[in-house]
Amino acid sequence: MELFEFYRKDRWPHVFCPGCGNGTVMNCFHRAFSELDMKLDRTAFVGGIGCSSRIPLYINSDALHTTHGRAIAFATGLKLAKPELKIVVFTGDGDLGAIGGNHFINGCRRNVDMTVICINNNIYGMTGGQASITTPHEFQSTTTPYGNKEYPFDLAEIAVAAGANYVARWTTRNVHELTRSMKSALQKKGFTFVEVVSQCPTNFGRRNKMAEPSQMLEWFKESSVRRDKSRTAAVDHVDLNLEGKITIGEFVVRNRECYEELIGVGKHG
Amino acid sequence: MKIAPGEYFLQGNEACVEGALASGLRFFAGYPITPSTEIAEKLSQRLKGSDGVFLQMEDEIACISAVIGASWGGVKSMTATSGPGFSLMQEAVGYAAMSETPIVVVNVMRGGPSTGQPTRASQGDVMQTKYGSHGDYQVIAFAPASVQEMFDLTVECFNYSEKYRVPGFLLSDAEIGHMRGLLRIPDEVKIIDRKEKGIKRSDEAYDVPDELVRPFPVFGKGHKTMITGMTHTDTSKIEPEDVKVHQDLVIRLSEKVLRNRKDINKWELMCPGSKTMVISYGSASLGAKEVAAKDDRVGLLRLKSLWPFPEEPIAEVARNCNQILVSEMNLGMLYWEIKRVAVENGCKKVELLSKIGGDPPTPSEFRHKLREMGAI
Amino acid sequence: MKPVIDPKLCKGCNICVYICPKKCYSKGTEILEAGYFTAVVSAAEKCYNHNREGKLVCELCIMSCPDQAITWHEETEEEKKK
Repeated sequence: MELFEFYRKDRWPHVFCPGCGNGTVMNCFHRAFSELDMKLDRTAFVGGIGCSSRIPLYINSDALHTTHGRAIAFATGLKLAKPELKIVVFTGDGDLGAIGGNHFINGCRRNVDMTVICINNNIYGMTGGQASITTPHEFQSTTTPYGNKEYPFDLAEIAVAAGANYVARWTTRNVHELTRSMKSALQKKGFTFVEVVSQCPTNFGRRNKMAEPSQMLEWFKESSVRRDKSRTAAVDHVDLNLEGKITIGEFVVRNRECYEELIGVGKHG
Repeated sequence: MKIAPGEYFLQGNEACVEGALASGLRFFAGYPITPSTEIAEKLSQRLKGSDGVFLQMEDEIACISAVIGASWGGVKSMTATSGPGFSLMQEAVGYAAMSETPIVVVNVMRGGPSTGQPTRASQGDVMQTKYGSHGDYQVIAFAPASVQEMFDLTVECFNYSEKYRVPGFLLSDAEIGHMRGLLRIPDEVKIIDRKEKGIKRSDEAYDVPDELVRPFPVFGKGHKTMITGMTHTDTSKIEPEDVKVHQDLVIRLSEKVLRNRKDINKWELMCPGSKTMVISYGSASLGAKEVAAKDDRVGLLRLKSLWPFPEEPIAEVARNCNQILVSEMNLGMLYWEIKRVAVENGCKKVELLSKIGGDPPTPSEFRHKLREMGAI
Repeated sequence: MKPVIDPKLCKGCNICVYICPKKCYSKGTEILEAGYFTAVVSAAEKCYNHNREGKLVCELCIMSCPDQAITWHEETEEEKKK
């Protein structure tokens, strides 16, 4: 799809910082959406609050910019009221995993048909760089000046445990794999989850010796391990001792019935 | 799905369900909380298949968020809760006001604050209904005082919420919600649907000028709607830094309701010429009604709508009486607003019969207070 | 096809410089109107897509650029000879 068929021309260019991973994720999503020949008029986008949640406002389609953390709850209502709409949620690590945690896990469990793209930049970027539930241990932020004493969540593993029909995680360095996963997620019925580890050079990288976007991308490259190579088939639990590694890949592909099928509501997918 | 016109013997909460279904409810998201749970349970039986969607969500915040999302899908949606859940919902109430989403929230009030008295009545949330969320906004709220009104005022709630694109609240309480009584469903129930963008009709909702209430752009119809809680222009462009954009928006959100008080406000008047008037609402008015029915020295202004604040009927009553007794099942909330209007309109003696703990004030408690005031 | 950077959109993040496997980009040395260094295409002829039409082989730069500043253009006759 042409650039300004997909994006709102009157809102361009977007306000994301130089080097922000959001733009990269948008490229992959645009490519995935176009290759699947999806229609903007049959899609609705929902975002919470945060930089990544602003992405729906740039897309030339119906968009719901909701309250912090509640995007999945709003999307649930919208989807069940109008099952023929395809719903895509853009959210961030804090929006989804901290304040939105309850809606995240119940969304996975309930399995309403929607695709959730979580852009995880390990920080609360929009508000200036406070620690988030995915900020790595000992890292600097404006609220952890002595180093983060907490340990991070593994959002993709939580989605696996909570029952999502499709879970994948990539970094902004894996643009082609990410595009492919987005296509799989968009095509699969039920709650599909794609986590993208993304760079925030302005509010995360800069305080952690990675001010250049390329430094953050290099860090992603060095920390990434394929999940299927780092876990045995028998062991499938959250392992916080993976110590600074980012597991990437397709985590799970399931075929649980989506909620609309279970309650017998109209068309979906 | 809707029950046939006729006479029924129902619980207040059940009558509310019938009112919602008669209005065209197609989406309900609820969470169990005494004393409103019957509304969720009843709707879980009635909303199935093509009749609509029932959801029990993980918490009240999810409930009201889903209800707002469903409204943007073009369906009438509702949630029901009580004090603690209502408190959780406040952020989303502000969002519904700012995004001008028609929704209905039923609050079957119970003893507060906090967990308080789950099974006992109070009227402790009446100010919270208007001022619970941050910022300036107006809402509409109705206070039923009988099983019949649980039906009638639920319908009104939906109608005005749709007409003015504003969150609507039904402020019931544990007594009204759980009492059983007669419900008469008429042959025709007047329904108002929202003014929808791109659809031409000629009815009440469409009479409201576009400058006050914009046509509602339902999702999935190619409108490329953009909805946000941030300060925005008419074309939904986000402009949080702009003084004039913010003023234009927030003032319009209030004006669209305040200018239409005469349309929205409802009340019941007994013995209006009396020198002593009782002003009350909901369960607190039941005892006064009995007193006024038997003694024409005392009249009753029973407010059926609480927000937008019904200045006009109170002013009229104040101009024609010597003293006013306000009765509420809280320590004095609407009392201060009523007193303000009364004093401005020439009635300086405004007293309060406040009763908390769960029992509505009895006729003898009213008579005792009225005797003290020299009314009887 | 050759990559072209739109200097009005480029914010000088230099991700393209980092990510390109053939080192086709470099950091700019001239401050443009906006007041910062944008990236520049320094060796388009090294690109995997040089003299290629139809399905492109490598699109790491265009997919990675957060500002959608890179687009593919047909080479001129002279550029094709490089």
